[in-house]
Amino acid sequence: MRTAFWLCVLLGLLALAVLPAVAQQGKRFGALDAPVTVEVFSDMQCPACAAYHLETLRPLMKDYVATGKVFLTFRLTVNHRHSYRAARYMNAAALAGLFEKASEVLFEKQKQWSETGDVEAALASALTEAEMARIREHLDAQEIEQAIEADRALARTFQVRSTPTTFIRYRGETTPVVGVVSYAILRRYLDRLLEGSP
Amino acid sequence: MRVRVQLIARCVLGFVFVYAAWTKLAQPWERFALAVDSYRLLPEWGVIAVARTLPWLELLLGLLLVAGWQLHYVAPLVTALLAGFWVAMLRAYLQGLGIDCGCFGVGQAVGPATLLRDALLVVLAGFVTVEAFRVRRASSASAA
Repeated sequence: MRTAFWLCVLLGLLALAVLPAVAQQGKRFGALDAPVTVEVFSDMQCPACAAYHLETLRPLMKDYVATGKVFLTFRLTVNHRHSYRAARYMNAAALAGLFEKASEVLFEKQKQWSETGDVEAALASALTEAEMARIREHLDAQEIEQAIEADRALARTFQVRSTPTTFIRYRGETTPVVGVVSYAILRRYLDRLLEGSP
Repeated sequence: MRVRVQLIARCVLGFVFVYAAWTKLAQPWERFALAVDSYRLLPEWGVIAVARTLPWLELLLGLLLVAGWQLHYVAPLVTALLAGFWVAMLRAYLQGLGIDCGCFGVGQAVGPATLLRDALLVVLAGFVTVEAFRVRRASSASAA
């Protein structure tokens, strides 16, 4: 029994040493020491952002963020009719540790909730009751408004004029990418950057 | 007088092309590929082909314009290229893509200012083309 326990501890430590330190805090994903940082400004109600998220950022998460090569941060802007409500839910989901799952749902069902503004129904149709409860728990938190305002301020600072806008940072140099780009082309650029990383 | 105006026009165009090429060649081609891809016009292989070849083509055409060599071939090509850029930018603007034009590196949004600037370049290139053919016709006539 004792041997099994120590074996588990040893395996756990080994896994920690081998796997990259993946942090999933709020709207930030990946290893803190990843060589490349990607910051994406999206609007939950913008159709181009949905396409970008589902076609480009989803595979990016799998191939680059989960493998410790890219540290990804999401910022939410509020430019459409129901964007603010969606941003509230998304920031609540971030506090509940459900940002990735909730963003997938809202982008996939964007057409549906964009007409009615019923963000909650769209989320509830795909998340479990327990997950919805965790999101609702944070909906009225003071941090939600602060997070929305912080993202707005950052968008102003970086002069984000349309969404999606992506900032790729590597060794102090920033590459802004305005609009939707395909995963195939984005990954070529990331691979070029990573070629030069230690 | 017209010869002098054409000389100035083709030198302006030539330097614009050389500068545009330099801003692209000074960075990895994959970075320019991001700007090309954001127009949502070409498949992956097309984006790669344009990103790898366009800066060199711009450099070559720019130098040929300044040199004034084979203008009756170079000027129509430059006009067609600029007109193509303008149509692509207009399409992006009308579709509300909100993208960077990618003309001189990063940071220039496709909008009325960039469309106007490119329209003026098309007009300038058109003038150089017309003049190139006029001079060629005149020299052929005098040779005959």
